[in-house]
Amino acid sequence: MKVNDKTMQALEASLKMREMRQEIISSNIANADTPNYKAKRVDFENALARAIDIDENQTMKSNNSKHFNVGGGGFDNLEPEIYEDPNDIVSEDGNTVDTEQEMAKMAQNKILYDATVKLMKKKLGLLKYAISAEK
Amino acid sequence: MDFLTSLKISSSALKANKKRMGAISSNIANAQVTRTPEGGPYRRKQAVFGSEPARENFAEILEGELNEKAQAVHADVISENNAPIMKYEPNHPDANEKGMVAYPNVNVMKEMADMISASRSYEANISAMNITKSMAMRALELGDN
Repeated sequence: MKVNDKTMQALEASLKMREMRQEIISSNIANADTPNYKAKRVDFENALARAIDIDENQTMKSNNSKHFNVGGGGFDNLEPEIYEDPNDIVSEDGNTVDTEQEMAKMAQNKILYDATVKLMKKKLGLLKYAISAEK
Repeated sequence: MDFLTSLKISSSALKANKKRMGAISSNIANAQVTRTPEGGPYRRKQAVFGSEPARENFAEILEGELNEKAQAVHADVISENNAPIMKYEPNHPDANEKGMVAYPNVNVMKEMADMISASRSYEANISAMNITKSMAMRALELGDN
Protein backbone atom coordinates (compact mmCIF):
# COMPACT_ATOMS: atom_id res chain seq x y z
CA MET A 1 0.00 0.00 0.00
CA LYS A 2 1.39 3.33 -1.04
CA VAL A 3 0.87 6.03 1.56
CA ASN A 4 0.69 8.91 -0.88
CA ASP A 5 -1.64 7.23 -3.39
CA LYS A 6 -4.14 8.79 -5.74
CA THR A 7 -6.84 9.12 -3.06
CA MET A 8 -4.49 10.91 -0.70
CA GLN A 9 -3.32 13.22 -3.45
CA ALA A 10 -6.90 13.99 -4.46
CA LEU A 11 -7.92 14.74 -0.86
CA GLU A 12 -4.88 16.93 -0.40
CA ALA A 13 -5.60 18.85 -3.60
CA SER A 14 -9.23 19.21 -2.57
CA LEU A 15 -8.28 20.68 0.82
CA LYS A 16 -5.93 23.13 -0.85
CA MET A 17 -8.58 24.25 -3.32
CA ARG A 18 -11.20 24.67 -0.60
CA GLU A 19 -8.80 26.84 1.37
CA MET A 20 -8.44 28.95 -1.75
CA ARG A 21 -12.21 29.13 -2.17
CA GLN A 22 -12.58 30.13 1.48
CA GLU A 23 -10.21 32.99 0.83
CA ILE A 24 -12.12 34.19 -2.23
CA ILE A 25 -15.47 34.01 -0.40
CA SER A 26 -13.98 35.92 2.56
CA SER A 27 -12.83 38.53 0.10
CA ASN A 28 -16.33 38.76 -1.40
CA ILE A 29 -17.99 39.18 2.01
CA ALA A 30 -15.37 41.70 3.13
CA ASN A 31 -16.01 43.77 0.01
CA ALA A 32 -19.81 43.58 0.15
CA ASP A 33 -19.97 47.38 0.52
CA THR A 34 -17.07 48.35 -1.72
CA PRO A 35 -18.18 50.31 -4.80
CA ASN A 36 -17.37 48.62 -8.13
CA TYR A 37 -16.16 45.39 -6.49
CA LYS A 38 -17.16 42.33 -8.54
CA ALA A 39 -17.91 39.01 -6.82
CA LYS A 40 -15.37 36.31 -7.64
CA ARG A 41 -15.67 32.56 -8.00
CA VAL A 42 -13.18 29.69 -7.84
CA ASP A 43 -13.80 26.71 -10.08
CA PHE A 44 -11.60 23.72 -9.37
CA GLU A 45 -13.99 20.76 -9.64
CA ASN A 46 -13.34 20.19 -13.34
CA ALA A 47 -9.59 20.45 -12.99
CA LEU A 48 -9.67 18.06 -10.02
CA ALA A 49 -11.85 15.56 -11.89
CA ARG A 50 -9.38 15.69 -14.77
CA ALA A 51 -6.48 15.11 -12.38
CA ILE A 52 -8.17 12.19 -10.60
CA ASP A 53 -9.25 10.73 -13.94
CA ILE A 54 -11.24 7.80 -12.53
CA ASP A 55 -12.33 6.29 -15.85
CA GLU A 56 -8.87 6.96 -17.34
CA ASN A 57 -10.40 8.44 -20.45
CA GLN A 58 -8.98 11.88 -19.93
CA THR A 59 -5.28 11.18 -20.22
CA MET A 60 -3.50 10.16 -23.37
CA LYS A 61 -2.09 6.68 -23.13
CA SER A 62 1.67 6.55 -23.05
CA ASN A 63 3.81 3.48 -23.51
CA ASN A 64 7.08 5.12 -22.63
CA SER A 65 7.98 6.70 -19.32
CA LYS A 66 9.65 9.58 -21.18
CA HIS A 67 6.34 10.69 -22.71
CA PHE A 68 4.89 13.89 -21.41
CA ASN A 69 1.73 13.69 -19.32
CA VAL A 70 -0.88 15.29 -21.61
CA GLY A 71 -4.49 16.02 -20.71
CA GLY A 72 -4.72 14.82 -17.12
CA GLY A 73 -2.02 17.13 -15.91
CA GLY A 74 -1.69 15.33 -12.60
CA PHE A 75 -2.05 16.91 -9.18
CA ASP A 76 1.12 18.95 -9.30
CA ASN A 77 -0.03 21.56 -11.75
CA LEU A 78 -3.68 21.74 -10.79
CA GLU A 79 -4.85 25.23 -11.70
CA PRO A 80 -8.18 26.52 -10.40
CA GLU A 81 -10.10 29.03 -12.47
CA ILE A 82 -10.82 32.32 -10.77
CA TYR A 83 -13.29 34.58 -12.52
CA GLU A 84 -15.77 37.35 -11.85
CA ASP A 85 -19.26 35.99 -11.36
CA PRO A 86 -21.14 36.93 -14.55
CA ASN A 87 -24.65 36.08 -13.30
CA ASP A 88 -25.03 38.52 -10.47
CA ILE A 89 -27.21 41.58 -10.32
CA VAL A 90 -25.28 44.83 -10.24
CA SER A 91 -26.35 47.23 -7.50
CA GLU A 92 -26.29 50.98 -8.09
CA ASP A 93 -22.71 51.37 -6.85
CA GLY A 94 -21.45 48.70 -9.27
CA ASN A 95 -21.04 46.02 -6.59
CA THR A 96 -22.14 42.47 -7.44
CA VAL A 97 -21.80 40.75 -4.03
CA ASP A 98 -24.85 38.96 -2.64
CA THR A 99 -23.89 38.45 1.02
CA GLU A 100 -26.52 35.76 1.71
CA GLN A 101 -25.37 33.75 -1.28
CA GLU A 102 -21.76 34.10 -0.18
CA MET A 103 -22.60 32.91 3.33
CA ALA A 104 -24.40 29.89 1.88
CA LYS A 105 -21.43 29.10 -0.34
CA MET A 106 -19.10 29.48 2.61
CA ALA A 107 -21.19 27.08 4.72
CA GLN A 108 -21.16 24.57 1.88
CA ASN A 109 -17.42 24.96 1.48
CA LYS A 110 -16.88 24.40 5.20
CA ILE A 111 -19.01 21.25 5.26
CA LEU A 112 -17.19 19.77 2.28
CA TYR A 113 -13.85 20.75 3.79
CA ASP A 114 -14.77 18.99 7.04
CA ALA A 115 -15.90 15.96 5.07
CA THR A 116 -12.60 15.87 3.20
CA VAL A 117 -10.63 16.08 6.45
CA LYS A 118 -12.75 13.26 7.84
CA LEU A 119 -12.03 11.11 4.78
CA MET A 120 -8.34 11.82 5.16
CA LYS A 121 -8.48 10.80 8.83
CA LYS A 122 -10.23 7.56 7.88
CA LYS A 123 -7.60 6.86 5.28
CA LEU A 124 -4.81 7.45 7.79
CA GLY A 125 -6.72 5.33 10.31
CA LEU A 126 -6.76 2.44 7.86
CA LEU A 127 -3.03 2.76 7.45
CA LYS A 128 -2.57 2.76 11.20
CA TYR A 129 -4.78 -0.31 11.49
CA ALA A 130 -2.67 -2.07 8.87
CA ILE A 131 0.50 -1.22 10.78
CA SER A 132 -0.79 -2.39 14.14
CA ALA A 133 -2.88 -5.38 13.02
CA GLU A 134 -0.67 -8.05 14.51
CA LYS A 135 -2.25 -8.04 17.98
CA MET B 1 -2.28 31.43 0.46
CA ASP B 2 -3.75 29.95 3.59
CA PHE B 3 -6.37 30.46 6.23
CA LEU B 4 -4.40 33.31 7.72
CA THR B 5 -5.04 35.30 4.54
CA SER B 6 -8.78 34.65 4.89
CA LEU B 7 -8.64 35.84 8.48
CA LYS B 8 -6.66 38.91 7.42
CA ILE B 9 -9.26 39.76 4.78
CA SER B 10 -12.17 39.36 7.22
CA SER B 11 -10.42 41.42 9.88
CA SER B 12 -9.74 44.19 7.36
CA ALA B 13 -13.51 44.32 6.76
CA LEU B 14 -14.19 44.46 10.52
CA LYS B 15 -11.80 47.39 10.79
CA ALA B 16 -13.37 49.16 7.82
CA ASN B 17 -16.89 48.72 9.21
CA LYS B 18 -15.79 49.99 12.62
CA LYS B 19 -14.46 53.11 10.93
CA ARG B 20 -17.76 53.45 9.06
CA MET B 21 -19.63 53.07 12.36
CA GLY B 22 -17.44 55.81 13.84
CA ALA B 23 -18.34 58.19 11.01
CA ILE B 24 -22.06 57.38 11.43
CA SER B 25 -22.05 57.95 15.22
CA SER B 26 -20.20 61.20 14.66
CA ASN B 27 -22.87 62.27 12.15
CA ILE B 28 -25.76 61.44 14.49
CA ALA B 29 -24.08 63.07 17.48
CA ASN B 30 -23.30 66.23 15.55
CA ALA B 31 -26.56 66.50 13.60
CA GLN B 32 -27.44 69.83 15.23
CA VAL B 33 -23.97 71.35 15.59
CA THR B 34 -23.75 74.84 14.12
CA ARG B 35 -20.24 75.77 15.15
CA THR B 36 -17.03 73.77 14.79
CA PRO B 37 -13.33 74.62 15.38
CA GLU B 38 -12.92 74.88 11.58
CA GLY B 39 -15.82 77.34 11.47
CA GLY B 40 -19.30 76.86 10.05
CA PRO B 41 -21.67 73.98 10.77
CA TYR B 42 -20.57 70.35 11.16
CA ARG B 43 -19.89 68.65 7.84
CA ARG B 44 -21.24 65.14 7.35
CA LYS B 45 -18.54 62.45 7.41
CA GLN B 46 -18.62 59.53 5.07
CA ALA B 47 -16.61 56.28 5.01
CA VAL B 48 -15.47 55.44 1.49
CA PHE B 49 -14.64 51.77 0.95
CA GLY B 50 -11.98 50.56 -1.43
CA SER B 51 -10.51 47.12 -2.08
CA GLU B 52 -6.83 46.31 -2.13
CA PRO B 53 -4.87 43.09 -2.66
CA ALA B 54 -4.41 41.20 0.60
CA ARG B 55 -0.63 41.40 0.65
CA GLU B 56 1.80 42.46 3.30
CA ASN B 57 5.37 41.59 2.51
CA PHE B 58 7.49 41.18 -0.58
CA ALA B 59 7.19 37.39 -0.66
CA GLU B 60 3.42 37.69 -0.82
CA ILE B 61 3.64 40.25 -3.59
CA LEU B 62 5.83 37.85 -5.57
CA GLU B 63 3.49 34.96 -4.93
CA GLY B 64 1.30 35.85 -7.83
CA GLU B 65 -2.12 36.01 -9.26
CA LEU B 66 -4.48 34.67 -6.61
CA ASN B 67 -3.40 37.19 -4.04
CA GLU B 68 -4.42 39.82 -6.56
CA LYS B 69 -7.85 38.27 -6.65
CA ALA B 70 -8.57 37.79 -2.97
CA GLN B 71 -8.96 41.36 -1.86
CA ALA B 72 -9.00 43.03 1.54
CA VAL B 73 -10.96 46.20 2.15
CA HIS B 74 -10.01 49.55 3.64
CA ALA B 75 -12.05 52.62 4.53
CA ASP B 76 -11.19 56.31 4.28
CA VAL B 77 -13.32 58.81 6.14
CA ILE B 78 -13.98 62.01 4.23
CA SER B 79 -15.97 65.13 5.09
CA GLU B 80 -18.69 65.96 2.61
CA ASN B 81 -19.07 69.40 1.11
CA ASN B 82 -22.86 69.45 0.90
CA ALA B 83 -24.60 72.79 1.24
CA PRO B 84 -25.86 73.26 4.83
CA ILE B 85 -29.58 73.39 5.60
CA MET B 86 -30.60 77.00 6.30
CA LYS B 87 -33.20 77.62 8.99
CA TYR B 88 -34.72 80.97 9.99
CA GLU B 89 -33.83 81.47 13.68
CA PRO B 90 -33.02 85.16 14.22
CA ASN B 91 -32.35 84.77 17.97
CA HIS B 92 -29.73 82.05 17.49
CA PRO B 93 -26.16 83.24 18.26
CA ASP B 94 -24.90 81.72 14.99
CA ALA B 95 -27.56 83.41 12.83
CA ASN B 96 -26.30 85.50 9.90
CA GLU B 97 -27.49 89.04 9.13
CA LYS B 98 -30.66 87.68 7.48
CA GLY B 99 -31.46 85.65 10.62
CA MET B 100 -30.63 82.33 8.94
CA VAL B 101 -28.71 79.58 10.78
CA ALA B 102 -26.68 76.99 8.86
CA TYR B 103 -27.38 73.45 10.14
CA PRO B 104 -25.42 70.35 9.10
CA ASN B 105 -26.80 68.46 6.11
CA VAL B 106 -27.32 65.26 8.11
CA ASN B 107 -30.37 63.03 7.68
CA VAL B 108 -30.61 61.04 10.91
CA MET B 109 -32.94 58.45 9.34
CA LYS B 110 -30.39 57.76 6.65
CA GLU B 111 -27.64 57.47 9.24
CA MET B 112 -29.67 54.96 11.25
CA ALA B 113 -30.30 52.85 8.14
CA ASP B 114 -26.60 53.03 7.32
CA MET B 115 -25.78 51.96 10.84
CA ILE B 116 -27.91 48.82 10.55
CA SER B 117 -26.20 48.02 7.26
CA ALA B 118 -22.75 48.48 8.85
CA SER B 119 -23.71 46.30 11.79
CA ARG B 120 -24.95 43.51 9.48
CA SER B 121 -21.74 43.66 7.44
CA TYR B 122 -19.75 43.41 10.66
CA GLU B 123 -21.74 40.36 11.74
CA ALA B 124 -21.33 38.70 8.33
CA ASN B 125 -17.57 39.10 8.56
CA ILE B 126 -17.51 37.75 12.13
CA SER B 127 -19.36 34.63 10.92
CA ALA B 128 -16.94 34.29 8.03
CA MET B 129 -14.06 34.50 10.47
CA ASN B 130 -15.59 31.86 12.75
CA ILE B 131 -16.10 29.49 9.83
CA THR B 132 -12.50 29.99 8.69
CA LYS B 133 -11.28 29.39 12.24
CA SER B 134 -13.24 26.16 12.64
CA MET B 135 -11.92 24.91 9.27
CA ALA B 136 -8.36 25.56 10.40
CA MET B 137 -9.03 23.73 13.68
CA ARG B 138 -10.54 20.83 11.74
CA ALA B 139 -7.36 20.54 9.69
CA LEU B 140 -5.39 20.23 12.92
CA GLU B 141 -7.46 17.15 13.82
CA LEU B 142 -5.55 15.26 11.13
CA GLY B 143 -2.77 14.88 13.64
CA ASP B 144 -5.00 13.16 16.25
CA ASN B 145 -4.92 9.76 14.60
